[in-house]
Amino acid sequence: MSLSRREFLKSSAAASAAAAIGMSVPAELSAAANEAEGDWRWDKAACRFCGTGCGIMMATKNGKIVAVKGDPAAPVNRGLNCIKGYFNAKIMYGADRLTQPLLRVDANGKFDKKGKFVPVSWERAFDEMEVNIKKALKSGGPEAVGIFASGQYTIMEGYAAQKMMKAGLRSNAIDPNARHCMASAVVGFYQTFGVDEPSGCYDDIELTDTIVSWGSNMAEMHPILWSRVTDRKLSDPDRVKVVSIQTYTHRTSDLADIEIIFSPNTDTALWNYVAREIVMRDDAEKIIDWDFVKKHMIFATGPVNIGYGMRREGEKSLKAGKYSALEMETISKEMSKVVSHKEGPALEPYGYKAGDTMKHTAGTLAHWEISFEDYKKSLEPYTLDYTANIVKGNPDENIEDFKAKLQALANLYIEKGRKVVSFWTMGMNQHTRGTWCNTLSYNVHFMLNKQAVPGSGAFSLTGQPSACGTAREVGTFTHRLPADMMVANPAHRKIAENKWMVPEGTLNGVGVQHIMKIHRDIEDGLIKFAWVNVCNPYQDSASAHHWIKAAREMDNFIVTSDGYPGISAKVSDLILPSAMIYEKWGAYGNAERRTQHWRQQVLPVGDAMSDTWQWVELSKRFTVKEVWGEYAPSGPRKEALPSVIDKAKAMGYNEDTTLFEILFANKIAKTYALDQSDPIQKGYDNTECYGDSRNVVGSDGKIFKGYGFFLQKYLWEEYAAFTRGHGHDLAPFDVYHKVRGLKWPVVDGKETAWRFNAKYDPYAAKATKDTGNSHAFYGSIAKALPSGDLSGVKVKDKKSLANKAKIFARPYMDPPEMPDANYDVWLCTGRVLEHWHSGTMTMRVPELYRAVPEALCYMHPKDAEAKDLKQGGLCWVESRRGKVKARVETRGRNRPPRGLVFVPWFDEKVFINKVCLDATCPMSKQTDFKKCAVKIYKA
Amino acid sequence: MKAMSKITIGLVAAALLMVGCGGEGAKSSPKKVVSTTITEESLGLRKTDLYTEDSTIADKTEYRTAQATTSSKIKRAFQDAPPMIPHDTIGMLPIKVEDNRCVSCHMPDIAGAMGATPIPVSHFTNFRERNKVVNGTFQSAVNNYKNEVSIVHEDKLQGARFNCSQCHAPQSQGNLAVENTFEPVYTSKDGANRSSWSGGKLTESLDTVGKESYVTPEDVANKHSAAGSLGGSGH
Repeated sequence: MSLSRREFLKSSAAASAAAAIGMSVPAELSAAANEAEGDWRWDKAACRFCGTGCGIMMATKNGKIVAVKGDPAAPVNRGLNCIKGYFNAKIMYGADRLTQPLLRVDANGKFDKKGKFVPVSWERAFDEMEVNIKKALKSGGPEAVGIFASGQYTIMEGYAAQKMMKAGLRSNAIDPNARHCMASAVVGFYQTFGVDEPSGCYDDIELTDTIVSWGSNMAEMHPILWSRVTDRKLSDPDRVKVVSIQTYTHRTSDLADIEIIFSPNTDTALWNYVAREIVMRDDAEKIIDWDFVKKHMIFATGPVNIGYGMRREGEKSLKAGKYSALEMETISKEMSKVVSHKEGPALEPYGYKAGDTMKHTAGTLAHWEISFEDYKKSLEPYTLDYTANIVKGNPDENIEDFKAKLQALANLYIEKGRKVVSFWTMGMNQHTRGTWCNTLSYNVHFMLNKQAVPGSGAFSLTGQPSACGTAREVGTFTHRLPADMMVANPAHRKIAENKWMVPEGTLNGVGVQHIMKIHRDIEDGLIKFAWVNVCNPYQDSASAHHWIKAAREMDNFIVTSDGYPGISAKVSDLILPSAMIYEKWGAYGNAERRTQHWRQQVLPVGDAMSDTWQWVELSKRFTVKEVWGEYAPSGPRKEALPSVIDKAKAMGYNEDTTLFEILFANKIAKTYALDQSDPIQKGYDNTECYGDSRNVVGSDGKIFKGYGFFLQKYLWEEYAAFTRGHGHDLAPFDVYHKVRGLKWPVVDGKETAWRFNAKYDPYAAKATKDTGNSHAFYGSIAKALPSGDLSGVKVKDKKSLANKAKIFARPYMDPPEMPDANYDVWLCTGRVLEHWHSGTMTMRVPELYRAVPEALCYMHPKDAEAKDLKQGGLCWVESRRGKVKARVETRGRNRPPRGLVFVPWFDEKVFINKVCLDATCPMSKQTDFKKCAVKIYKA
Repeated sequence: MKAMSKITIGLVAAALLMVGCGGEGAKSSPKKVVSTTITEESLGLRKTDLYTEDSTIADKTEYRTAQATTSSKIKRAFQDAPPMIPHDTIGMLPIKVEDNRCVSCHMPDIAGAMGATPIPVSHFTNFRERNKVVNGTFQSAVNNYKNEVSIVHEDKLQGARFNCSQCHAPQSQGNLAVENTFEPVYTSKDGANRSSWSGGKLTESLDTVGKESYVTPEDVANKHSAAGSLGGSGH
């Protein structure tokens, strides 16, 4: 079952020798004849990659993965994977896996920020972490310790990290890369439904008649969902319509009946156009389901002068001159801007017109109830003429043809009896009005009563494998606690403190350190210690040159845990070797609320250990007296954080009790027994709990022999406790090991397919018992509102909206940076099918690397010609922030209109995030990676 | 110059791996093995200065140019892995509803004559159950709590497998960015060239928890989980 020491040495030696002479490893065992897979062990697991959440079957032999196939029993993907899914088999076997901690040192072996790396023991690594965290706590309190967290954490890892950070170190400066991925979807859910995550499920695909992809290249980014869409389309090509709404043509459009190429950011105008058609034609055509709307909806709006989530006047690094005059041209719009002719008409109902100066306050989540008449007024500007003129994204397309497409789109939504699913991911989320765009999608579906019913609904797809399961549900965001609870809510803090057996008052009530703020706080010198977990923030964050410089040149200590040395590892002071996905027990939650667990398939390589282990070992280094005293105000926290040491003593802890004893190895945890007669544990490794045959020397300099209890099950069950009985119900640990995932809420062992629908969701059934309504939108966040009109609040008294959802008035607005005479082209960045995010895993799989070895600059052939660029030739892509070189591709899978280029971000050698702008949706703080202005010229 | 840096990189990687192998109680000896330090530039895929872009160029894509009928096949990465495309694809993509050029050579009845890899039986097998909405209520055709499967052989290429490029990709030639130590084990004689995933193999080993693969009322009750509830303090 586990790789023996001798075999491990043998294969490593072979690999290192091969690497040295630069040739491939020829090892391959061919069968002499057909033979049974008798000595293979097959087990189920979840795919490592996107938010689709496919089930895989994985084979191991002699402690190594030997094959992967699609799991026929997995409802998501039924026996099929995409190219990345199959190559899960190889992702852990790149020859340059990190196998030991690496620390930057001087000639004497002492830590030196300017030093080179040397291998060190785990004990030394934790010594350095401990010293630097304690130093940071002393200098700036808990706010000086920051974590780059992940939507790729296993659920248990994310839970352990959040518990140690928030309850142990009392810092809320933990935020995931998922912030870049679906924060706008989350705020959209909170504002609309009062609770996070989608109503529908993937079964909608087989049940619908219409699939509309809004700014999402599902064919590459959610390939298995796209295979289901394709299957549905081909099963009834006349009835089933596919609409692809994009800023450039790509594989998703290849299947489409209608393709709409829109100008970046104008999707908000397009949604409003569809809504206008519904509202303005309602008198004549009886389109709106008024019975549904009156029972379940209210109308709302919020302020429009909310800026773009960039740095604001007075911030330390701006004052210190760390931003160039060119950069400031864009950043100045954070404070105020002149309303353009493009957005002027859309803003008129809100009291602005073209030429006005709009002064921005920082983004706010505030909103208020308005009348239907006010909502209608907000839609008036979106006539077909206005909409088509600002939305049309292909300069070579005829405007009349384009108008006909917009009308066809509206008619598909409106058609009685036609089911419609709207899908989106990064296009609508990575958007300086991402939250607005998300809420606009529900408007259309709600008015037509085509939401939360089988075959219809606006459906936010998530990007990462556990952005839902870990980042959102566990709550590894700065402002969240498990199961939709918030750090700012004292009642929620109390619940978490009780469950975590920490004193009342331990949790810090200020959590505003979203991932860009963590970068900015490092640049400002507030954060002195940062730890990167299961992500690559120094490659994946826009305005990257600022952050890599801050990591290397400021007085701080940056740690990266990873399987491979990516850019984040390179710019760190300490690199920790992490166990990768199938080297540990874990669970992920996908975009249809499906939670899936897997067992440890193989032992980690070298001395690599899981992120859970790293957090738990770190907790041994901190005692009550070291972390639970009083902290003076710091950064965003304007009040002192009180000492809870006396309360801790009253609970039976003493000053020297470690966080390990309190948070992880407590009496409850120890009731989860290791038991090799348990059919779920039987025959499977569990490195954290038993140790393993590698005999890794641990954080105390002794061979790590395991915690002796079933840590992962304990973490799961304790986390799940927060969800049970509160609309997020997760099933028991053992259940997930026997099924191919379940969609929460799981009540009495049964999953929920369509949330909020009384027929399918037990919580909705309960809430509608007296009314007999079809739906209950029972989320509890922002469910009492003041009221007013499009210009502001008029009546401050709040009115309860129990069980209702909201239809929002929200205008089209320009992004802060658009092409002009100097920077004349839109830049959009994103992913490709064959690579996952920053490519640390997939660039090391030969088949995936060879499929797409480089990030290309996709552009229109006429643009290339006009700029004297040749297919395959090198060009510079340059913005106000930086430039990179890439090869020109004019005939590839991505086919932009004139005036736009697409450059993916997986390639370390085409470091496109040096070019991108770190503007965000000011409400969700999610970066807009989809648009900034660049110039392109020959390199 | 390029070859030189490659060897250096290799040696660093080798050193790391050897350190990783250092074992029980032998923690001090690997430290002696690695007498040299590791530079930031030597780590990872990009070996150039991270802080400027002047000397950094991406690895060039060089797909095979052999025509479809003359190319030699690329070995499957492991038993039943999707085969990669060994021939030039210019003019064959994109795949559209009315225009899938892959099938014109790879359908099993003509593949032999064309010298092409035939589309295997798995691609003519429907794995997706037909769920329905009856009188406004969703009805599942299989019981997912029992891991039921619905596997039906059909004569037509499955819609779910229509997007060939979702799994099959052309391959650039030249050196890899980093070697990979995965070792395939083929269980069928020509496993490197042919799919064996059909018949009984499709459902083999799906009961991953053995006989106890079914959820029991005891599992659902979860009585022994001491951490499993909030103990009355709701939110």
